[in-house]
Amino acid sequence: MAQQDVDRFERIILPHLDDAYTLARYLLRDEHDAQDAVQDAVLRALRYFDSYRDGDARAWLLAIVRNCSLTWQRGHSSDRFTVPFSDEVAAAVVETRPTDASAIEASDRDAVNRAVAALPAEFREVIVLREVEELSYKEISDVVGVPIGTVMSRLARARKRLAVTLGLGAQEAS
Amino acid sequence: MRCSDCREALSSYLDDELMSPEAQEVREHLATCAECDRQHRVLADTSLLLREKLVRHQAPDVLKARIRSALAQPHAFDSPRASRPIPVGRPPWLLFAAAGLVIAIGSSALTFAAMRQGASSHAVAADVLASHIRSLMPDHLTDIVSTNQHNVKPWFNGRIGLSPPVPNLDSAGFVLVGGRLDYIEGRSVAAVVYSRRQHVINVYAWPTTDHAMAATRATNERGYHLVQWRADGVEYWVVSDLNAGELDQFVREFIAASR
Repeated sequence: MAQQDVDRFERIILPHLDDAYTLARYLLRDEHDAQDAVQDAVLRALRYFDSYRDGDARAWLLAIVRNCSLTWQRGHSSDRFTVPFSDEVAAAVVETRPTDASAIEASDRDAVNRAVAALPAEFREVIVLREVEELSYKEISDVVGVPIGTVMSRLARARKRLAVTLGLGAQEAS
Repeated sequence: MRCSDCREALSSYLDDELMSPEAQEVREHLATCAECDRQHRVLADTSLLLREKLVRHQAPDVLKARIRSALAQPHAFDSPRASRPIPVGRPPWLLFAAAGLVIAIGSSALTFAAMRQGASSHAVAADVLASHIRSLMPDHLTDIVSTNQHNVKPWFNGRIGLSPPVPNLDSAGFVLVGGRLDYIEGRSVAAVVYSRRQHVINVYAWPTTDHAMAATRATNERGYHLVQWRADGVEYWVVSDLNAGELDQFVREFIAASR
């Protein structure tokens, strides 16, 4: 690969490193796995850079990060230490609210992040891609590799679930 | 529009991702249905809460350095094996996570070093190790992040009375991460940061009047290796959890490139 291609790659792709790392952190829930997956993803991105056409470089990189994260997780699932975390546990966290304002702030942040961490992977990824990475449905559909209709229904179900977990009163009669 | 159809569409409506005829139907339905309107507000609140509270992470300096290092190697991408990151040893990172604990353990381990080395050297070693561990906490590693020696070296000018050598050791596989000011035994010192794989190497430098020892002296404490030497009126300490052989190579390269 010529030096000007590497320069162009650094200019277009590297500004999105924080977003790439954020996605990997949410998908893998481990900072060191996330670092390895992102390094892997960036090197892959460089290798396939000639297949990148002008478009949203961030979504393109995030798609590679997602794939590398899944590969990384599959390869290391046996030695992973995972903490099962149910909606009931998350709800209990929300219910015990402190009174001091900064503690409430910290406790809210903690509760929200734990609730998202506890989501099944297919819900977690659409929530992060939408609410953190702020991708469009079309981009999410490209990154995850599912039709837009599936993005819509996963996102709707994930939000409903989080509303219940976080005590925002989304109980539905039907 | 029926309530069930509306509820199904609410999440996409919230994101403005519905086709305009359907969005119009939802809008009209919400104006007339209190329960669907309530559900809409619940979803909007949920989305807002997520946007406000979900953590946006920053790529750590070490990751940036690893990537820059890989990009700097011209043929790193050509072979299929190049994309495979070197497996990370768990123990060093667990030590990072339990850094507070490690400070305690490291200090007691260094007590033994004191018996071998003498008290003043021990105090410095303890400070250096504590500083190294502190530097591994999030956002403590560098005040200036740069892989370019010509940015890092002048940065120290005017901040402390010493401009330490900041050699480029890329070709030897040690990547410059940046520099920072730190405190050892109550004085400001220069800390130049390198990395190899996920291992951080801190090089501390400060002026000394003691020219007695020119040879390097290495100690090994609880997985951390410390190397000390003096040259040209400067005292150097290098510390890392890198293995002894590689750290020894680093010191040799650093000294040779600093001449």
